[in-house]
Amino acid sequence: MKKLIKIMTALLLLAGLFTAAIPAVDAASSKKVASGTVMKKIKKSGKLVVGMSADYPPLEFTKNVNGKNKYVGVDVELAKQIAKDLGVKLEIKNMDFDSLLVALETGKIDVIISGMTPTAERKKSIDFSKIYYAEKSDYFVINKTNKAKYTSTASFKGKTVGAQTGSLQYTSLKKNAAKSGIKFKGLAKISNLLMALKSGKVDAVLLGELNAKTYATNDTSLSLVKSSLSQAQMGNAVGVAKGQSDLVKAINKTINNCQKQDLFNKKYIPAAAKAMKQASSKTNNSMSKYASYFATGLGYTMIITICSITIGLVLGVIFALMRLSKNKLLHAIAVCYIEFLRGTPQMVQIMFVYFGVGMLIKNMPALAAGIIAIGLNSGAYVAEDIRSGINSVDKGQTEAARSLGLSQAKTYRYVVFPQALKNIWPALGNEFITLTKDSSLVSVIGVGELMYETGLVQTATYRGVMPLFITMCIYFVVTFILTRLLNYFERRMNLTSSRA
Amino acid sequence: MNKIIEVKHLKKNYGDKEVLKDINAVIEKGKVITVIGPSGSGKSTFLRCLNLLEKPTSGQVIFEGTELTDLKEEEMDQLRQKMGMVFQSFNLFPNMSVIENVKLAPMKVKGMSDQEAGDLAHELLAKVGLDDFADHTPASLSGGQQQRVAIARALAMQPDMMLFDEPTSALDPEMVGEVLKTMQDLAQTGMTMVVVTHEMGFARKVADEVWFMADGYLLEQGSPDQVFDHPQSDRAKDFLAKILEA
Repeated sequence: MKKLIKIMTALLLLAGLFTAAIPAVDAASSKKVASGTVMKKIKKSGKLVVGMSADYPPLEFTKNVNGKNKYVGVDVELAKQIAKDLGVKLEIKNMDFDSLLVALETGKIDVIISGMTPTAERKKSIDFSKIYYAEKSDYFVINKTNKAKYTSTASFKGKTVGAQTGSLQYTSLKKNAAKSGIKFKGLAKISNLLMALKSGKVDAVLLGELNAKTYATNDTSLSLVKSSLSQAQMGNAVGVAKGQSDLVKAINKTINNCQKQDLFNKKYIPAAAKAMKQASSKTNNSMSKYASYFATGLGYTMIITICSITIGLVLGVIFALMRLSKNKLLHAIAVCYIEFLRGTPQMVQIMFVYFGVGMLIKNMPALAAGIIAIGLNSGAYVAEDIRSGINSVDKGQTEAARSLGLSQAKTYRYVVFPQALKNIWPALGNEFITLTKDSSLVSVIGVGELMYETGLVQTATYRGVMPLFITMCIYFVVTFILTRLLNYFERRMNLTSSRA
Repeated sequence: MNKIIEVKHLKKNYGDKEVLKDINAVIEKGKVITVIGPSGSGKSTFLRCLNLLEKPTSGQVIFEGTELTDLKEEEMDQLRQKMGMVFQSFNLFPNMSVIENVKLAPMKVKGMSDQEAGDLAHELLAKVGLDDFADHTPASLSGGQQQRVAIARALAMQPDMMLFDEPTSALDPEMVGEVLKTMQDLAQTGMTMVVVTHEMGFARKVADEVWFMADGYLLEQGSPDQVFDHPQSDRAKDFLAKILEA
């Protein structure tokens, strides 16, 4: 009977939590960027923050200039012009394409210039400037070896075609799936789509015209087939949060000027083409030129790891003690924290902290959000490691200490903890190693750690597998060194405690 | 009659199991009480209720005039300084040397200086014959040596009473003697001692009173001669017959 009551209470609490929490979060997250505030913010801060998914040559991509990462492309040129006309500096934030909308709505970026088409669906959440450039059609990118096999849209019937998630091409494939009989698959990065194509996981990749032509030019193993799938060819526009009519007006003014002077055809596209040609030349493709990218990435990875493990340790000790405490409230809070953070995926937690919580705290930088999220997550696991370490100390030790008159606190401090540490250490070491690898997850919110930098190298060099391999090796070397170090300290601890 | 501990209608349950069923007893200052009886009789539980390592389900434990079951944690911690306990499995702290084991409580609880505590510790270790081992780790000592260190550690807090929970049950036979000798010396200094044990020889020689417990009740209380030679209850008679014929 007692057990049944306990279960009922737990279920009731859970139900209460959901009915209360969900509306609360909904209310908080619908707190979008307020009307007329973005222009003010731009002027005040003196910079225009442009969001883009820089894996889309020739519209937006990256180039290695003397070991430094530069953003180049048609959209980048437009962004520079808009910033100039507004009289402010330009700051570019690179992230996954389907993170752009959320980033704009939550005020993390001021505008989106990323080859984005103003569809009706997107117009529900954000506003757009006028069209600044229109591509004529989509293209299927295939392996050249299959050139004879695929000659028209119809030849893809029953085959699998990939597209970038959130893109127009993806929507097009989805809409026409039943009629065309084409199976489709979405991935976040174009470089991953092309790797899938080359490894045979997909039969083709559907890209926009400029994009497709660029990749095909730079990679001779690829070939193109024009797509006849129905598609609203609306062209590209600048995305702006709702209620910023002053900003839209200013942007449209710049676009009008550019179009009047035909800057797109005369300046922007040629400049992009040139940057692409340099990028794809053999010398620029060698990995050694990108050593600094990997170094930057590794630096951030280590920063994230060290900061997160520190937070994790502090939180872990606090929550372990709370969970062990006889105080029912402290115990309950600790259990909720530990169970929730261990029971939800880390990537979801990272995005929630950055986009969700980051709404309430203006300008929370991605790095801070990543560290906080990973630190919180780590704290839950460390708490359990510590708790089991403490529980594994013989009960007789506590009894002996208490019977001498030592308080519970002093018993923990002088008798239990030192012994528990020996048991906890291997688990903590594991946690440290895991953190090093989990840090790669913050690449999804655009933090420049190792995984993110790898993506940049992939785009800049048009090589998919090599950068991944190098990154894997780097992670392995780091964790290997760490493991050796931790083993050394573990041995030292065991030796000192059994001085014979 | 100087009562140091008085136990009134002590009951202890673990869930549905009644381990102690109404214990009433008085311990006088300076006396050595040995508690004997079959396994499962509740001897250890009774001992552990005296310093509240186990919380009684009902009843009173009155130590030097203070009712223990009402006290707050901090107050009980204070009182435990006056009651030393020695365990069957010694429970020395493995992360410290022998002398550090003895010095810990005087320094951290009583606030003694390192010097004072060190002097006290050496004196006590000498009394149990182990001063030469002061800097050794517990793991490097034999069982008998460890138990003697445990006794010294408990004595370092200068308690009014010492509780022994089957102190020699986990020892090799050759080492039992050295520990019992130490305990006998301690008894001769006038220390109040309550010893749960199977060592009948010790009980006969050293104890002032022998208490027999079985099935959660305190069935016999008396001098060693009375209890061993003239047990009143059948249960005690059975038990002693089995033990003493060995």
